[in-house]
Amino acid sequence: MSDQAFDLTRRSFLDRVLMATAGAGVAAAAPWAVSAANAASAAPMMPATGDRVRLGVIGTGDRGRALIRNIAKSRNCTVAAICDNFAPHLAKGREIVGASVPAFADHRAMLDARGIDALVIATPLNQHARHATDGFDAGLHVWCEKAMARTISDCGAMITKSRAANKVLQIGHQRMFHPTYLNALKRVKAGEIGEITQVRASWHRNNSWRRPVPAGTDDRHINWRLYRESSAGLMTELATHQLQVGNWFLDAVPTRVIGSGSICFWKDGREVYDHVALIYEYSGGRKFIYTSLLNNARYGCEEQIQGSKGTIEPELGRIYAEVPPKVLALQRMHQDVARGSKRTVPIGGATWFPELPVTTPGESLGWGEYDETMLQFEGFGEAVRSGKPLPGLLAQAYRASVASLLGEQAMDRGEAMTWPTSLVEV
Amino acid sequence: MAGSADIMRFAAMGTRVELHRFGDGADAALAAARRAIEAVDDALTIHRPSPATAMNEALLAGRTAALEDELLFRAVEAAADGHAATEGLFDVAADLRTGTDWSMVTFDHAARRIAAERPIALDFGGLGKGFALDRASAALREAGVGSALLTAGESSIAVIGEHPLGGLWPFSIPHPEQPDVELLAVELCDQALSISATIGAGTRAPERAAIVHSRLGAAVTLPACAVSVEPNATLAEIMSTALLVADQQAAARLLRDRVGRRFRFDLRLATEHSRKCA
Repeated sequence: MSDQAFDLTRRSFLDRVLMATAGAGVAAAAPWAVSAANAASAAPMMPATGDRVRLGVIGTGDRGRALIRNIAKSRNCTVAAICDNFAPHLAKGREIVGASVPAFADHRAMLDARGIDALVIATPLNQHARHATDGFDAGLHVWCEKAMARTISDCGAMITKSRAANKVLQIGHQRMFHPTYLNALKRVKAGEIGEITQVRASWHRNNSWRRPVPAGTDDRHINWRLYRESSAGLMTELATHQLQVGNWFLDAVPTRVIGSGSICFWKDGREVYDHVALIYEYSGGRKFIYTSLLNNARYGCEEQIQGSKGTIEPELGRIYAEVPPKVLALQRMHQDVARGSKRTVPIGGATWFPELPVTTPGESLGWGEYDETMLQFEGFGEAVRSGKPLPGLLAQAYRASVASLLGEQAMDRGEAMTWPTSLVEV
Repeated sequence: MAGSADIMRFAAMGTRVELHRFGDGADAALAAARRAIEAVDDALTIHRPSPATAMNEALLAGRTAALEDELLFRAVEAAADGHAATEGLFDVAADLRTGTDWSMVTFDHAARRIAAERPIALDFGGLGKGFALDRASAALREAGVGSALLTAGESSIAVIGEHPLGGLWPFSIPHPEQPDVELLAVELCDQALSISATIGAGTRAPERAAIVHSRLGAAVTLPACAVSVEPNATLAEIMSTALLVADQQAAARLLRDRVGRRFRFDLRLATEHSRKCA
């Protein structure tokens, strides 16, 4: 893509974000997106390299490399150092950033070398809190992949530490910047789907989630998502995204959660569930119903945001009105009139119908061609420059992580878990 | 989120609503009519917090309720008028479980207040659908629409003006459980039609309340169907319900007033070859 085409695409993406957030009530519900898009719109087209926020990326596995590519699309950030303790991953990272960017096998060496303004953490979940703490101690701002940490207390500790260090802590939740989700929010605020009483979400895949283990390392290092020490599996790696969407659109946190988890299909030595099913209860009887599994992909990844007047499915980018089936006799009358024919209209038949799934196509919410992760980093870059975090974002991320970990506890204990009262104020 | 330019379909009042506009009228007419129906739904629903549920909470607690919401006030007014016009047969306070009825209600029209001597809850039911169609019809007329058909379910119909091809709007009403058997054919112009029945698919809908004879304190169970054609949809709903509840003598009085416009069918007798009109 040429620079000019890239600028047009970027401009169009930002315009869509700004248009969506201009809707009544949307700015208050997504202040981080307004702040990030405004800052990105006002930024110079091509700032000098020296003006960019310098990021050091810890973890150059698949996710870390995806982040590096997205940082490269941003206009105010640059990757100034990379780090991974697994040599093949570090080598792949170097292929992207080039030999001029310092590469480290130990994150402490990267911190000691200075030359960066902020840390980007894309390491296994159980290392997030330690790496973030090390970053704050080194005087750096921190951008961390979701979920925040392996335990609820570590999630809170990261926030407390960032405040004590007076540094920005931002968590990666790209849906919070996606024009489709922001458009969905706009239409919810406009009352198009009525009162939301339920969000039904799923992330269904049909693969083992297991990666081949190359020579020179071990399964727990490569497949850290499958072991309880390092991950809560489906809950922290997938559900966190959708729990954030649930909290966001229900404009609340859950009051309690019940759930059931099992290793049902992939009995390969993994420790985390490959099937989870949970119900999160919200005030007023509202619910977030969640399932995730690894041996059936029919229903994929989706959130169904269900209101009294319609449904939004943001991953499909569709909004569906609660349109009842047509009265066939009246449809025929309409056709008759168009043909100039007048016939008696039989009416007064059944007013109730079998409640089969509705298969109407709905309407498009509008797609963004641009990767919203770019805007996350432009927003982070602005937050680092100003020393002020994007408003509202950390609270959303914290509550999503807590919800995912609370769900794990509910499944492990086989009992309802109430929302913790001892969380850090954010 | 509407259908084509001159049809709008949506769910409201616990049923499906269709608005068909023909010929002249502002493009925004259907949207205005929809808003009118949804406003009535918001005011009268008992399935979510509304002015009606607030009123019912007060009446159930033995308090007087102020009818500050204009739509709720007009609906209560219509319910009171309907009760009077049908010799008490139409009764939004009738409840088999509690043995209550409208005679226990005091409606102060001038003060816009309502009270009851016993805990009572009003359920506007079909009256609400008719009331909503009347408000929507008014919105369409105000927008310059001269020909339109509005339905709330298939049992509540209102037409504005003549049929788009001229003349009256022709309808046939089938037996509720034998679609091939026609009970009645009627033609309308600037009128409304309501059909009430004690049998058929419509009566099997979840949460559907039984049609109650308040004086007898019992549900109407005989297989019957009543049809009423009236100048407005609210009155049509009131009369079709009253006809279903009425005994022979009361039905005769209601039918006498509007020969050829009100009908009651004893469905034990109604077949393709033998139709009975009381």
